[in-house]
Amino acid sequence: MTVTDVPLANPSPATARRRGRGIVPVIPALAVVVLVFVIPVLALLLRSVLEPEPGLQNYAAFFGSTTYLKVLGNTFLVAGTVTLATVLLGFPVAWFLAIAPSFWSRLLFAIIILSMWTNLLARTYAWMVLLQRTGIINRTLMDLGLISEPLPLINNLAGVTIGMTYIMLPFMILPLHATIRAIDPAVFQAAALCGASRWQAFTRVMLPLAASGIAAGALMVFVMSLGYFITPALLGGTSNMMLAELIAQLVQSLLDWGLAGAAALVLLVVTLAIYLVQLRFFGFGQARS
Amino acid sequence: MTFLEISNISKTFGNVAAVNDVSLDIAQGEFVTFLGPSGSGKSTTLYMIAGFFEPSGGDVRLGGRSILAEPSNKRNIGMVFQRYTLFPHLSVAENVAFPLRVRRRSAAEIGRKVEEMLALVRLEGFADRMPAQLSGGQQQRVALARALAYDPPLLLMDEPLSALDKKLREEIQDEIRRIHRQTGVTILYVTHDQEEALSLSDRIALFNHGRIEQLGKGRELYEAPRTRFVADFVGHSNFLDCTITRSEGESADIVLPDGGMLSGISLHGAAVAGARAGLMIRPDRLRLSPLGQAAEPGIDAVLSDATFIGETYHFVLATGWGASVNVRMPASRVRPDEVTMGAHMQLHWEATDARLFCH
Repeated sequence: MTVTDVPLANPSPATARRRGRGIVPVIPALAVVVLVFVIPVLALLLRSVLEPEPGLQNYAAFFGSTTYLKVLGNTFLVAGTVTLATVLLGFPVAWFLAIAPSFWSRLLFAIIILSMWTNLLARTYAWMVLLQRTGIINRTLMDLGLISEPLPLINNLAGVTIGMTYIMLPFMILPLHATIRAIDPAVFQAAALCGASRWQAFTRVMLPLAASGIAAGALMVFVMSLGYFITPALLGGTSNMMLAELIAQLVQSLLDWGLAGAAALVLLVVTLAIYLVQLRFFGFGQARS
Repeated sequence: MTFLEISNISKTFGNVAAVNDVSLDIAQGEFVTFLGPSGSGKSTTLYMIAGFFEPSGGDVRLGGRSILAEPSNKRNIGMVFQRYTLFPHLSVAENVAFPLRVRRRSAAEIGRKVEEMLALVRLEGFADRMPAQLSGGQQQRVALARALAYDPPLLLMDEPLSALDKKLREEIQDEIRRIHRQTGVTILYVTHDQEEALSLSDRIALFNHGRIEQLGKGRELYEAPRTRFVADFVGHSNFLDCTITRSEGESADIVLPDGGMLSGISLHGAAVAGARAGLMIRPDRLRLSPLGQAAEPGIDAVLSDATFIGETYHFVLATGWGASVNVRMPASRVRPDEVTMGAHMQLHWEATDARLFCH
């Protein structure tokens, strides 16, 4: 038989036309983006290098202080743990949503979405009730005789991690579910007949095919966690701050806009770097067939 | 010698019997097709052999040993699916290598085997392509290479050509035949396409309502169908309603709705005088003569449609009582002046070509 090459996609005439019309139609959108997004970031950058006097002293102060570095470390630790926890908890849920009978998957979906629509403060206060020394979790564990004293589950990073894992879980489940649902379930039958054990089918077929969804969910959760404020502020302790809390304190209590700007920019640079790494490995059209 | 032994296998879903007491012995190297309409139980039977469904009863033995207790991945069976089901994240070579990698074969052996398999399906030079860059026919050939890479003694094929267009189907049919000859692998093939079944198989098991209606060589099913369903499903058939006037062993006399009598027609199943039956004659076994010229008895009919389709003429005739009869004749044997709409003709046939099936 003859074998022909797959034709390469040509840019459509419509695309070419849109490209050829120049900058004029873009101006309104561009104006909004510049006004709303670019100028504030630039202002922040400028304040971080201009206040109280021009120079990089804000950055030197940030990276020179063990306290601030510890806050940065806390932030990464919590964001990383939350990301890992949401992957581990979210994967089986997303998998179940993808293969469950439609009644159950719809019900579960509704519950997840409903929790996302519920007020964030209310949900975080609920966790305060659950996690406190005399809360239901500690009481149950003590009644069962598993612990003799209440576990310190609140006003520390453990509390922040638990609360944020809960808040972030839907942001992992939703992209992961979309990816897993797109996998033809017959490939697992094919893998089984090829001799793959369940574990081999999971590691060699399921995980690589779900990788783009895991990456998308992880990026979302990690980046959102890095800058999260409310949950750390309510469930965390004063001794173990996260970066957003530090920024709030610098602005509200110390009125140190320069240092706050520097901290915010550090966060922005880290976020951008992570995004670029993710683009590199799961760039558009690469992970999908 | 029996290689694959399917004995009294059944599968019920709820209280519906999808497969009902199917038994079949297959010899090593044989090409057997499960043919049947959708929902006839052919795919379900295949899935039970593959290990995707657990049978409600019965046994499947491969090389004398029951395989039902083993999970799919331990059965060492190859399978080609309807929708290719290649691993989309792996290249062609890695797809073929997959069964060898999970078996932890050496890199050298994997490299050699992948090359050999790609040569077998004539896809040398495609090793580094991704599945999405291949046509449907190419993907199905990669799937075939993947299923054969670990030299399974049994290859299952579940409607592997149904997603391809007609020309490609015929091309891959030739490939499958060649690969079957070349490798000697035992093949169980599922299809609803009777032409595909006839052209590929050593034997055909025709499924209907979860049972094997008839098992035999394609020609046997065509020439000697045991039931009306087989006659109808394999090849084209005319069925004329009639009433049995006398039956004796496997032969019967009938009367047609217009009062015409025919005698000594071969009969399947017991029948008593007065029973209603269908007289089956293949369109290609019917002959047409201008009225009054035929020596043998036949049926008078009026030509109502004639279609020239290359090698053959396809005629439709209406009998005196309104039944329509299809006739196919080689175009070379039809004189143009015979093809006149509304002409009265006589239909006749060899006695051995007609069969009676009781209702």
